[in-house]
Amino acid sequence: MFYKSRISLKNSWKREFKRISERPVYFLGPALVMIFCSVFFLTLMEEGWPNTLPAGVVDLDQSALSRTLIRNLDATAQTKVVSHCSSYSEAREQMQKGEIYSFVVIPEGFERNLQSGLQPAATFYVNDTYLIPGSLSLKDLSFMGHLTGAKVKQNILESRGITEENLQMAAIQPVAIDAHLIGNPWANYGIYLINLLLPGVMQLMIIMITIFSIGMELKEKTGPDWIRTAGNSRIIALAGKILPYTLLFTLLGIAMNFLLYRYLQYPLWGSMWLMCFATFLYVIASQAVGIFFIGLLPVLRDAISLGAFYGLLGFTYAGFTFPVEAMPPSVQIFSWLFPIRYYFLIYGNIALNGSPFQNYFLWFIVLACFLLLPVLVLRRIGKAAVKPEYLTK
Amino acid sequence: MLFVVRLSKAIKDTLTITLKEYRLVFRDSGVLIIFVGASLIYPLLYCTLYKNETLYDVPVAVVDHSHSVRSRELIRKMDATPELKVAVLFDNLEQAKCAFERREIHGVIYVPEDYSEKINRMEQATISTYCDMSSFLYYRAMTLATNYAVLNTGEKIEVERLHAAGIAGKSAEVSVHPMTFEDNILYNNGMGFASFLMPAVLILILHQTLFFGISMLAGTAREENRFRSLLPVDSKKRHLLQLITGKSICYFSLYAVLTAYILGVIPRLFNLPHIGQPVALIGMAIPFLLATIFFSMTVSVFMRNRETGMVFFLFFSLILLFISGFSWPRSNMPSFWLAISWLFPATHGIQGYLKINSMGATLRQISFEYISLWILAAIYFVTTLIAYAWQIRSCRLRTAESGKDAVGLSNTITTIN
Repeated sequence: MFYKSRISLKNSWKREFKRISERPVYFLGPALVMIFCSVFFLTLMEEGWPNTLPAGVVDLDQSALSRTLIRNLDATAQTKVVSHCSSYSEAREQMQKGEIYSFVVIPEGFERNLQSGLQPAATFYVNDTYLIPGSLSLKDLSFMGHLTGAKVKQNILESRGITEENLQMAAIQPVAIDAHLIGNPWANYGIYLINLLLPGVMQLMIIMITIFSIGMELKEKTGPDWIRTAGNSRIIALAGKILPYTLLFTLLGIAMNFLLYRYLQYPLWGSMWLMCFATFLYVIASQAVGIFFIGLLPVLRDAISLGAFYGLLGFTYAGFTFPVEAMPPSVQIFSWLFPIRYYFLIYGNIALNGSPFQNYFLWFIVLACFLLLPVLVLRRIGKAAVKPEYLTK
Repeated sequence: MLFVVRLSKAIKDTLTITLKEYRLVFRDSGVLIIFVGASLIYPLLYCTLYKNETLYDVPVAVVDHSHSVRSRELIRKMDATPELKVAVLFDNLEQAKCAFERREIHGVIYVPEDYSEKINRMEQATISTYCDMSSFLYYRAMTLATNYAVLNTGEKIEVERLHAAGIAGKSAEVSVHPMTFEDNILYNNGMGFASFLMPAVLILILHQTLFFGISMLAGTAREENRFRSLLPVDSKKRHLLQLITGKSICYFSLYAVLTAYILGVIPRLFNLPHIGQPVALIGMAIPFLLATIFFSMTVSVFMRNRETGMVFFLFFSLILLFISGFSWPRSNMPSFWLAISWLFPATHGIQGYLKINSMGATLRQISFEYISLWILAAIYFVTTLIAYAWQIRSCRLRTAESGKDAVGLSNTITTIN
């Protein structure tokens, strides 16, 4: 019995490799996509955080103080003054064209009013349509404001006859924050995104390729041959079909982990082995979802559409851009249906926080539970494969 | 006279092709799901998911070793911000760490023993924050709230100190704030996530549903036509223009309605930014749709099967989204990717739409995107012409080879089927 099924599995594999060699693009395609996406995202966000974000200034005061303000702004970490405008509307127009992300308006008489103790106000304008450069520009503008303010404050106090000793105390901020950014101390944007974007692309490819490889048997009516080669065992037929892809995607996933956590030194507090094991579980869970879809809708084009819908939704439901708990409660629960959600939770625990195993071993078990999905549709797939007329075109 | 007859014939042919294409679209449930279903449902779905725009009351833990009036005041201030909520107080950092690792809290604020004393001694006190970095929004909430609380507390302490040094009243206020800075957040003043992401996604939905729908139509045609050709075997080269115009009229008219829904209705329904002038929006949408249609028709020549497009190019939606520069700024993109991005109608569409509808730009202000879209439309129209002419030629060659006699032809058909 055991020997027989081993032979059948071998035959299934042989048949599958023959199919793959006839259409190598279905095997090479996913690998190329993964390589392309890695190169794309890693080179696109090479800087980690955007530096030299273009900013404008409208200097209506033209004083020593206003020039100091502008110099200080230019000297901040991420902002660069690229344009000197003569009026607010000119600067606003540049902002609408997307040439600058922020600008500061220094009104006429700024320095004079300061010296007369009239508390003049300068105004920052930040474009938050572009949330990332907008937030960063605002941070730099506020920093510049405090920096210049502190210096001016010191001068004023000095002129009021505050002694040197007391002056220092007044100049420093009374309370400072020592911020610890767990797992991503540089607040690197690439680390936020790429660690999940690449696995996200992978689940998309896994689901699509799984649906496609099984669906093509049904579509081209080669199903009877497929099942027969596997000694009429549906389990062996499925195993023979998807194991080559399991191998491919697991290798791709592990290569991705080594690229991110070893070569690029992205933070990984926990064990690399566990991370790779999580990747493996993630691969087979995604394959299970693919099998479930083609079993549920044994018509290739319908299953592909469903897979596409689900795969893209995974990026949202992973919760790495917009946290799931901020979504409306009625749609929150669906996040549990996505392997990428558990991958994100495991990743946060292992890579960013390095927390103990008992905190996340449950997510490993849930990922493994996805493997039950194919069992539900095994009969349906078998039926659709053997009797092509079972399909409604 | 002859010219008029010819022209009216050409128009009639074109409209016949348009009608035929309509029939193809509406009879094919797969294509309908993409064109109409996805276009209608995706915007509703994504807008619902991101409806809350931002995080409120992110739970954090506090470890207060100072146990002083000052530390309690600071903590109250943080709790009062819209961003944070002090969910739990712990005795030590170890307990806080455990709760953090269980994801019960997304940040920890630690006030050291000497906090109050240091302030009283006129020194600088330091508090520590620990922030969950698994999402940018946790980090932003934590930073905004703690910065606000600390600066606000700091100013009060400064005034106290000046009073102690004998400076009081207005004089002290001026000393603390010799000048002020006003923040004005333009266009997305709630710093909302949906207002930032959804405009780009809406344009992408138009672009991608058109692309995948047209790809599916092309793949289906190949599967069903004789000799696996893209176009019917009897297509003539001199009908090329009518063929392409006819098909694109079908897609364009269908998408004119869908675009009005996606770009006009959805932003109002979900209160996304919608300050664009209708003239500018329509002016941009026309070349965007044309460029996208011809781009898709050109690429669709390479689709062998109904499903190929979806399987291999679905991931590209993500690439198009990021290369458009809605998130990672275009000013900081490597010039190589910048150049590549100019090839896709989605890039100019997203940038143009953001500028018009979120920032109130006019067509003149987005002239770069506007002109680029027309240029792309022209280029992809020509490539579609070339691609279709090539298809007709290769199809004719195959017909000539196999169709020498009726028997040969029918044999070929049976082998293909």
